[in-house]
Amino acid sequence: MTEYAFFPGCIGKNVYPGIEKATRLVFGTLDVDLKDYPYSCCPPPGVVACYDKESWYTIGARNLALSEAEDLDIMTICAGCYGTLHNVWHELTHNRKLLEKVNENLDTIGMHYSGKSRPIHFVDILDGMRKEISEKKEIDLGFDVAVHYGCHYLKPSSVTGENPESPSVLDDIVGLVGCRSIEFKDRLTCCGAGGGVMSGEPDLSLRMIETKLKNIQERNVDAIINICSFCHMQFDQSQKKLKRFEIPILHLNQLLGLAFGHKQKHLGLHMNLVSNRDLVKKVKMARRVSA
Amino acid sequence: MSKNMKEVIEKGNAFACIQCGRCTGSCPAGRECSMRTRKIVHLAKMGEDVFAIPELWECTTCFTCQERCPKEVKTTDMIIELRNISVERNYFPSMAGVPRIIIKNLYDTGSGQPLSPEVAKMRSIIGLAKDPCDVSRDEKDLKAFQRLLDSLPLMRGVAK
Repeated sequence: MTEYAFFPGCIGKNVYPGIEKATRLVFGTLDVDLKDYPYSCCPPPGVVACYDKESWYTIGARNLALSEAEDLDIMTICAGCYGTLHNVWHELTHNRKLLEKVNENLDTIGMHYSGKSRPIHFVDILDGMRKEISEKKEIDLGFDVAVHYGCHYLKPSSVTGENPESPSVLDDIVGLVGCRSIEFKDRLTCCGAGGGVMSGEPDLSLRMIETKLKNIQERNVDAIINICSFCHMQFDQSQKKLKRFEIPILHLNQLLGLAFGHKQKHLGLHMNLVSNRDLVKKVKMARRVSA
Repeated sequence: MSKNMKEVIEKGNAFACIQCGRCTGSCPAGRECSMRTRKIVHLAKMGEDVFAIPELWECTTCFTCQERCPKEVKTTDMIIELRNISVERNYFPSMAGVPRIIIKNLYDTGSGQPLSPEVAKMRSIIGLAKDPCDVSRDEKDLKAFQRLLDSLPLMRGVAK
């Protein structure tokens, strides 16, 4: 059985626990074992990296070090957590002097990081399990969706190795469960939450997401699908603040959970501020895959 | 690790900048506010005091400008480093001070976004452990984590 250390992230466990639960259910269905560790916050690339990078590297390295003894890679479900952990891993495995400094810091609490344990975004795991996803699918959902990638999953490409101008993995995965990814204007632009802007410049953050939501609304989709708990929070909370949008928002693991036949209550679909009621009705009418 | 401007500019490859403006044209935040990435790079390169401009804190660090720069200037990396120097010099425009709350949460609970009693209840309703498995679950782990934070520059100026 494949096994990963599971990094749920602050938002996925403390604000939208449905995302954590959906992840456990989906990866359970796919026969992937997830192991828990006493992680701290990733810490956030916007706030903490902008205040002090050395601290950011050290706190990130403490998280990476926890699963090193068991030689497990770390699965993240948020582009923010991925941005932090993957950048920390990349920098520490390319900069010996920095690694030494970080280990000197970690030594205060008797810990050490060698660079062996590596972060991985859950979408990249799913990308390698397309056959299993198709086999486990119980419902062809048939939604029209707007997909949102999350900046730090894609960029900087010198670190992520992704194609940030025309990615397709998320479009492909929603397609496996019978959803159609709909094109919309500026689909790859930032949701406006990162860089400490959501907390430090809330009005700017809201203007950015408003533009994005307008572009999505024009295409009349059933839902927005994201692969980042932090973007998820921005899409959900902002719609409530702006009072003029009501577009259901699902983390990809919640969407896959529905397609695998898990109950919407267990996936925490009712925990968003924006109602998912109409979407749930559509699931009931969707085509079941014959065994 | 002391960071000075010269080091940041060199590491960021700012001298290669030809002021073409592709960064500004690509910036999703700049469409909605007065931030101009090209101006920040220019001022920094000229040795100007960029810390006095609040726009430095309007970047969402989406990396689009850095990705598209034809001269491989590390624009986003530079903005992050410039913010570090700003914090080191204790220069905070008002909005840059707000994230300190998140740092305080990180210290107190191990999470920037802490768990509320309402969400703890929601967790048990959907069949998760009420308290998530994280550093705050065991007092011993949290104390060690705080000891680590105490030794780091991050906690400078953050009220505990």
